[in-house]
Amino acid sequence: MPHRLGPMQVLPSPVRRFADHETVDYCVVGVGSAGGVLVQRLARAGFRVVGLEAGPFWDTEKDWVSDEKGSHELYWNDLRITGGTHPLALGANNSGKGVGGGSVHWAAFAPRFHPSDFRIYSEDGVGADWPMSYWDLKPYYELLEREIPVAGPVWFPWGDPHGHPYGPHPLGGVGDVLVRGCTKLGLRSVAGGPVAILSASHGDRPHCIYRGFCLQGCKVGAKASTLITHVPDAITHGADIRAHSMAARISLRGDGRVDGVIYIDREGKEHFQRARAVIVSGYAIETPRLLLNSACPGHRHGLANSSGTLGKYLMAQAGNVVAGRFDELIRLYKAPPAHALTEEFYETDPRRGFARGFAVQTVGPLPVAFAKQMAVAMGAWGWGMRRVMMDYNHWATLGVLGEILPWEDNRVELAEEKDQHGLPVAKVTFNLHDNDKKLIEFGRNKVMEIMWAAGAKQVVQESRYAHLVGAARMGSDPSTSVVDKFGRTHDVPNLFICDGSILPTQGSANPGLTIQALAARTADYLIRQGDTIFYSSRRDQEEPGIRYDLSPPYTHFKGNPRIA
Amino acid sequence: MSRRSFPCRATGGELRDLEQPGYYPGYSTLAQKKSWEEATRKTVTERVEKTAPIRFFSQEEAALLGAVVDRVMPQDDRAEDRTIPVLSVIDERLYKNSLNGFRYEDMPPDQEAYRLAIRAIDEMAQSRFKESFTDLTVHRQELILKSLHDGKPEPDNAVWHRMPLHRFWALLMEDCATAYYSHPWAWDEIGFGGPAYPRGYMRLENGLPEPWEKDEQRYEWNEPIDSLSQLEDSH
Repeated sequence: MPHRLGPMQVLPSPVRRFADHETVDYCVVGVGSAGGVLVQRLARAGFRVVGLEAGPFWDTEKDWVSDEKGSHELYWNDLRITGGTHPLALGANNSGKGVGGGSVHWAAFAPRFHPSDFRIYSEDGVGADWPMSYWDLKPYYELLEREIPVAGPVWFPWGDPHGHPYGPHPLGGVGDVLVRGCTKLGLRSVAGGPVAILSASHGDRPHCIYRGFCLQGCKVGAKASTLITHVPDAITHGADIRAHSMAARISLRGDGRVDGVIYIDREGKEHFQRARAVIVSGYAIETPRLLLNSACPGHRHGLANSSGTLGKYLMAQAGNVVAGRFDELIRLYKAPPAHALTEEFYETDPRRGFARGFAVQTVGPLPVAFAKQMAVAMGAWGWGMRRVMMDYNHWATLGVLGEILPWEDNRVELAEEKDQHGLPVAKVTFNLHDNDKKLIEFGRNKVMEIMWAAGAKQVVQESRYAHLVGAARMGSDPSTSVVDKFGRTHDVPNLFICDGSILPTQGSANPGLTIQALAARTADYLIRQGDTIFYSSRRDQEEPGIRYDLSPPYTHFKGNPRIA
Repeated sequence: MSRRSFPCRATGGELRDLEQPGYYPGYSTLAQKKSWEEATRKTVTERVEKTAPIRFFSQEEAALLGAVVDRVMPQDDRAEDRTIPVLSVIDERLYKNSLNGFRYEDMPPDQEAYRLAIRAIDEMAQSRFKESFTDLTVHRQELILKSLHDGKPEPDNAVWHRMPLHRFWALLMEDCATAYYSHPWAWDEIGFGGPAYPRGYMRLENGLPEPWEKDEQRYEWNEPIDSLSQLEDSH
């Protein structure tokens, strides 16, 4: 049986394998949202690239199921310790393992960040400014919206108003509730996107069939993951992607440059992949963990941590789920969980008494997830649990997606405990601060108001958190950040970080699209710099200029339609 | 198993020994399995046909946790041969030490957490009622479990000073909910469409059923009248 990536696409063959003694140009650690785009771009540009992925190389037909419990292996299930005043749930909540990483189980909401997100310190005196602007990233947003591609309304009125290359999806029951409630309150809303889920077939990827199992891995191949959007093209162009390869540490040479990655294969055997440059794309927990585990003479507190900020300023978004019970049937399991939203409360409003804001989005928990939410939101157990679940089809669920600010005490460190490879595991600490608490309180109440306005007869809520970014933030000042605006570490000229961990702030938009757009931009930078990355320490901060000739096949469109 | 029925009153008589509780009579997700693709069919069918043996818990521990699970996820209305395995699913997870990707810093590892809690619950039963938890009446079992649910253990036990009670309760509820609501018989009970690939859904709005789903047929459903696990506002 061929290795399938969706029902119509087959893993290109042969997959290139560099020999153990060969030195490659780039070793990318983590083939997820960012890593998938990076290896694809770099391979297309002719570099010799190895992608190390800790998890499996999924065959979507054999390995994935339309089943909640059966999808357990998609997540990063290895031990991590979580603490602080508001400890984050990890695993299925926010961490993927396997080629495609978290993009395999994201809901695929694909809104852009707003221009204001890049300068919240200047505008509101909170958090930090990015060392770049929205306008630097905008062409990459447009490019990635075409590559993955994004379906959504032609009119998206918030932030920098824009349209989407694929048409919006039909409305499901939960989206209808969001639109109804918002309309009653005079709030603008959009439905049918923006989501990185196909509303029409695209190349060898079929359109969505509305089965609702987005978070369990899309067997249909309609939902974008780098496993099916960028990795096949990377392999076609000679990238070597190694599954079951857990990076243990990055090796530093005497001259202060890295020369490769030590990793452990499926059998527990240690290997050394020599590379002329290393890019860490392990997401907001594994990236700082790897760099902390790579401490060595000259970098005693972790590689590229002269600022002392590595692991700090970790962020998760407020993700309170508000559930409303309706007299009529909703059947929330149909249609993608992600399919309608409002960003009316995204920007700072001084009258609210806190900085920044939140989005309101549909969510679609399947029975196991919903039962867990009801155990918390209603304290349901025993016969009460059986009763509330018998009404499963009468409930609709909306989520707050709220901006929590970057705080130094929210961090990733190393714990005493070791994993199955003998590597210290990550310890994650998360505390809410005053602004965050006010924002969550306001956001939760607003979403409950929308739910009541939609006609719910009962409304309950569960506090939770979504996504993970930060912990290796970018900035212009090497004493307060880990990497520059292209992801190059301030301390080591041929060591880069490219994933969600470099975000200085997070806005109230799902981070996936932004992570991929940043990866494409970093790739353009690396390609433009060429061999100088491998021997020079010169730090060129010029924008590279966008390359439109490096996209995967079938992704050339004339543009992203919008109504002015 | 220490399963013990007590009648559920409802319009038209008692609800007990049902093939299928819930408001969707005649609906069967498993009847659709020919429309599922192979990997999903295999996963779901095995869940129904194979129950893992108890390997992690000792016999005594299994008996006690079984009694807890029977109250936390009661199935007294279900016919014996339509009971959904919950205890064996928890045991299998702990036996394989299959984690969910994290542990709270104030919690012991999952395996230890369950062993501690089992000990605590039995000690609570002994000290309050001078009987093992498994031998208590359903009402007395619920009194103890309700005190755990409420975060006010009655009587208090040293274990709950070592391990945060609310975290153990959440862990237990998550494991029970995962076992019960991942079973196709529970999907039938709540009217969930189940796996739908490659066929998909065509009626997304207004809660309309697919041709192979069933419309809801509501009736007055009541928990056992004296159960302590009813929702606060359900009556």
